[in-house]
Amino acid sequence: MKRVNFYFSTKLTFDDYVHDHSFALRIIPPDTDTQKILSCSLNISPCVPTQQTDDAFGNNVTAGYLKGDHRFLDFEIKGTAEIDCSKHRTDYMPCYLYQSGYTQPDERLRAFYDGIKGKCTGTVQDRAAYLCDALSDAFEYQKGSTDTDTTAAQAFAIGKGVCQDFSHILISLLRMDGIAARYIAGLAFCNGETHSWVEFWTGDHWEGIDPANNCPVFDGYLVISQGRDFRDCAIDRGVMFGNYTRQLQLVRSVLT
Amino acid sequence: MKDLEQKHFTKAVGNANEINELLRRFGVKFGIYKNGVFNEQFFPFDPIPRVITAEDFACIEKGLVQRVDALNEFLFDIYHDKKIVRDGIIPEDFIYISKGYLAECEGITPKNRIYSHISGIDLVQGKDGVWYILEDNLRIPSGASYPLIARELTRIAAPQAFEENEIVDNRGYAQLLKETMEYANCGGIRAILTPGRYNAAYFEHSYLAEHTGSVLVQNDELFVEDNMLYHRTYSGGKTRIGVLYRRIADEYLDPLTFLPESLIGIPNLMEAYRSGNVGIINAPGNGVADDKGIYYFVPKMIKYYLGEEPILRNAPTYLPFYKEDMKYVMDNLEKLVIKDVAEAGGYGVVFGSDLTKEKLEEFRKTIIAEPRRFIAQEVIDFLDLPILDNGETVMRKADLRAFVLSGETTRVWASGLTRFSRNPDSFVVNSSQGGGFKDTWVLK
Repeated sequence: MKRVNFYFSTKLTFDDYVHDHSFALRIIPPDTDTQKILSCSLNISPCVPTQQTDDAFGNNVTAGYLKGDHRFLDFEIKGTAEIDCSKHRTDYMPCYLYQSGYTQPDERLRAFYDGIKGKCTGTVQDRAAYLCDALSDAFEYQKGSTDTDTTAAQAFAIGKGVCQDFSHILISLLRMDGIAARYIAGLAFCNGETHSWVEFWTGDHWEGIDPANNCPVFDGYLVISQGRDFRDCAIDRGVMFGNYTRQLQLVRSVLT
Repeated sequence: MKDLEQKHFTKAVGNANEINELLRRFGVKFGIYKNGVFNEQFFPFDPIPRVITAEDFACIEKGLVQRVDALNEFLFDIYHDKKIVRDGIIPEDFIYISKGYLAECEGITPKNRIYSHISGIDLVQGKDGVWYILEDNLRIPSGASYPLIARELTRIAAPQAFEENEIVDNRGYAQLLKETMEYANCGGIRAILTPGRYNAAYFEHSYLAEHTGSVLVQNDELFVEDNMLYHRTYSGGKTRIGVLYRRIADEYLDPLTFLPESLIGIPNLMEAYRSGNVGIINAPGNGVADDKGIYYFVPKMIKYYLGEEPILRNAPTYLPFYKEDMKYVMDNLEKLVIKDVAEAGGYGVVFGSDLTKEKLEEFRKTIIAEPRRFIAQEVIDFLDLPILDNGETVMRKADLRAFVLSGETTRVWASGLTRFSRNPDSFVVNSSQGGGFKDTWVLK
């Protein structure tokens, strides 16, 4: 069990005024069997009324609508949580067994799996660890070669990527192997950005695995959102109108 | 029956040209995209009505109510406890591989637990007089406005036909739809969302809006604020919408829940819907129940949820997913009709009898490689109906789309859209494949 303080902020800046800006944030960490949220405050600037709902995947959704002209929108959360990975989450959904938009394998990724599946034996935990090792050997961590729209198949063809890509490819491999898996967006390693990792279903509970670092998840990981892949977990999604040509997003996170 | 149709035919035939002229003048068209170009096509009307006796209709009505009630139970179950999967009635794969299943809709209960408010059930009548269900359409089926307006115009052109025949009045459709919308209303005005005039059903949207007293809206006039759906008024104010009839596909409905690139959706509509602040007609996620692969299981659903024997039959259907069915399909491919479960509108339908030996072999391999993708059905020798072709009566294949509305009770509209194939060799009657339509008379 570990007590952590978390802070996360996103600053969206536009080069011209925007209006009729609708947004949906998955930014408030959920209270679960493995993490107890002791306190959490959300600040949004400019000030705008928001509504809280839960989505199908168990995320807290904060929805809002900023009608008037504005050039920036900032979100910030801070709070305290108690994380205990020795406890287990059991919120299973059958859809996690099936490939989703980002994880659909192509021939190359399928061939990679076919090449390693012979050695993928033992318990579900053994198989997940083996697939994660195999991925580590075949895929390199590098920023800038992929973006948030890159699918598992596309990233695998490039051979390099970031935590999001590692997670998508591992989920794809796990699902090909008949293991239900989900995507997690959260905070870990206080590296200034959000992190992503994977949970796989052992048959009666979820276990976390971090493919970008090829290690099991421990008490230093705070879950912010979860789903089939990145699309379900995006921490902020928005639609706005205006003549802006560029949008700048600055993200800062701290976990201590 | 044939004599009866012939009799009506002689009453109305003299006015065929007049009615088609009226239809043209009233702008009764449907839009179609072919090779990337949008065209508006005239939907040809045939003046010889299809006549259904009161007895026959009573049986169809009972069977359709039963079927739609079971489908609504199924949708609630799939998006909640999934008992039918746990009890082994439907294999899990058929649910989750279906493109119509939307995990985003898990746990949502629409008002009064109704998912399919308007169901379009396609039937054919066999030569032996037995009616068979061909498919279910639970994602806002189109087409009700065509027979409505054709009836209106026939009344103008041939009033005597209605004085001399005991025909159930079908003009109550708009009232039925209005009541159905009101039953799903979460507080506010009724609105019909149209993607604009370059949409296959634009004519229908404007017609239905006018006749149900709903506001015809486009997405850029709508917004979600404080978890409520609002219509922007011209004066800069806003009016709350309590129920939204829409025909745009689920995946485009809300760019913050589904496809982010959608420009025709309404941001955060799904949050307002999940919170019970707006009704959506029909419910998002219904595609899982009208999937061609799920069709096979509908008679089983009727038994499972209602404890009743199905009143209306499915066409004999085989799922290559099951071993014994695969064997039958492989042995009889040349006499079966194969349907790709992912396609709609008459696309992806292949008749084994149309294929050459090589093509049959190739198709066998495709089915073996992707058994879940196809269903196979016996070709039903269905009843031909008389149509008027350049002044002569010829016999053509026809089906019937019945409209079932689920509100406080489930009701079948005593009319429907009879579509026929203009090509004498074709069994495909979809309007997007160049067919025409007839009025459907239910006798008192």
